[in-house]
Amino acid sequence: MIDVLGFLITLTTYIGIYLVLSLTLTLEVSSGITNFGKVAFYGLGAYTGALIGTYLPLAITGSRASPFDVNGIQLLYTISKSNPVLDLSVFLLSLAAGFAVSALFGLLLTYPIHRVGSALVGFTLLSTGEVLRLFYLNTEPLGESKGFMGIPNPFAWLPQARGAEALYLIIVWCFVGLTYFIVSRIMNSPLGRILKGMRDDELVALYAGWPTPLIKSKVLALTSGFTGVAGVLWAYYFTSINPNMFTPSLTFNIWAMVILGGIDSIVGGVLGTVLLASVDYAARFVIPFIGTTLVTPDYLRWIIVGLVMLVVLLKKPEGLAPRRGGVSKL
Amino acid sequence: MGVKLIVEKVTKRFGGVVALNRVSINVPSSLVVGLIGPNGSGKTTLFNVVTGYYTPDEGRVLIEGSGRVVDITGWNPNRISRMGVARTFQIPRLIPSLTVLENMLLFYDYGSCASITCSLRRKWVNVEEAAVARAMSILREFGLESIAHKRPAELSAGHLKLVETLRGLMSDAKLFMLDEPFAGVESWMARKLTDTIRKINREKGSTFVIIEHRITELLEGVDYVYVLHNGSLLAEGKPDEAVSDERVIKAYLGK
Repeated sequence: MIDVLGFLITLTTYIGIYLVLSLTLTLEVSSGITNFGKVAFYGLGAYTGALIGTYLPLAITGSRASPFDVNGIQLLYTISKSNPVLDLSVFLLSLAAGFAVSALFGLLLTYPIHRVGSALVGFTLLSTGEVLRLFYLNTEPLGESKGFMGIPNPFAWLPQARGAEALYLIIVWCFVGLTYFIVSRIMNSPLGRILKGMRDDELVALYAGWPTPLIKSKVLALTSGFTGVAGVLWAYYFTSINPNMFTPSLTFNIWAMVILGGIDSIVGGVLGTVLLASVDYAARFVIPFIGTTLVTPDYLRWIIVGLVMLVVLLKKPEGLAPRRGGVSKL
Repeated sequence: MGVKLIVEKVTKRFGGVVALNRVSINVPSSLVVGLIGPNGSGKTTLFNVVTGYYTPDEGRVLIEGSGRVVDITGWNPNRISRMGVARTFQIPRLIPSLTVLENMLLFYDYGSCASITCSLRRKWVNVEEAAVARAMSILREFGLESIAHKRPAELSAGHLKLVETLRGLMSDAKLFMLDEPFAGVESWMARKLTDTIRKINREKGSTFVIIEHRITELLEGVDYVYVLHNGSLLAEGKPDEAVSDERVIKAYLGK
């Protein structure tokens, strides 16, 4: 018996989190910020959320259990079942901390190098992502290769698990709405025009009087903050995280979603994300049923996703919903 | 209000080549001056140094206005631009993904309405209206309303050049540095440009420095001329004097 509702809720939550990533990347691409290290901020957010979500409740109840052994995880589960205030406060704190840590990190890391060029920024972000992953992998208090388990769902105190899932889905999509609002307000404004100018010809933007390195830093701080929140949302949704989830291939999956939809197009990015995230998730679900031994399930999924990208790009080279018309909306 | 541009013994080298050799120029406030010289004499390089794209190896660039003298040597282009200096490029550099109108709007000073908070609260609508009004009136003066919503890729070379110049005129600059504004532009439009420059100069008092090869068009529109040759200031004077100077004629014809 396939749990269709469960599948749909999980799929929609999954798509929602990916939408936050792709919407913020759309804004970054539109500003000439080549963010090849999206996963760095995503992981930072996730680990910040996990740290707060596991260590804090244990510390508050005075327990000396470790969040990595069975006792600790058991205890976290028990606490979360009967402590709505604690669950929600820890969750809210994690969201705020995830935003702050990622935003600050993005700002400090890139402000000195924006003036050097987008290539350096791209590679710095890419390597930072990997350095962070290796850091998580080799740090004991972060769970090393096993990572965190038993991160308490903020709605675990609800009697019905399905209710908790549905509420969480709503929270995620409220955040998607907020992200969409912010990205679209920025892109469809005089600032959005300046960002595009910066991207196409930074020197001309400078000559127009715009302090391009500063503007890029502010934009990246904002998008990194939101990416961090997406990471927190992922950590609390999946309830366990490990370094293997935060590899560069995640960054490039988001890039594929944005490119597929058409650069500069918010709607296109949304379509591209929905398409690829659905195909990816559905493949995870369906492939085990096919029971193929010829090709490893992971590879089969990648082949399918790659084929979908190929077909879409061949039929619509400009993207699913390329942007037409100007920025000025008067 | 215009400003005085003071270029003081500016030298700029690129490897073994001396592009500018101790060039000193004093452009009085609110004057319209021309900068001429054979190709490769350093005119655009001088513009690049004055507007912050290059830092001179020797010498200084100063702006004097309202009784204050500011040393802008080595400043970034955006900082110099904010001081009231506008510059156009010899080869048009329009933003490809923006329309003609949007390219013009890019050069309008939105002030605090260009911030993230202002974008989120949509408080820029009034400023945008004013900016669009100015841009469209400039375009209309030159009969270009019809291309306002076209992208640079769709324009002819002459239109690209004209838009490049008009874009520079969008700001409330006190010093305009125009690089070959008449290149590839029809005669009546060139005349219109000269009239517009004169009008801005008269009404706002802005100073103009204009590089040109089309000497005839230039001479009608400027009060004074500087001549560069091989990176040095060869001659300067009233338009007729400068052009009939023997050394200048020799520089253009000979060598």
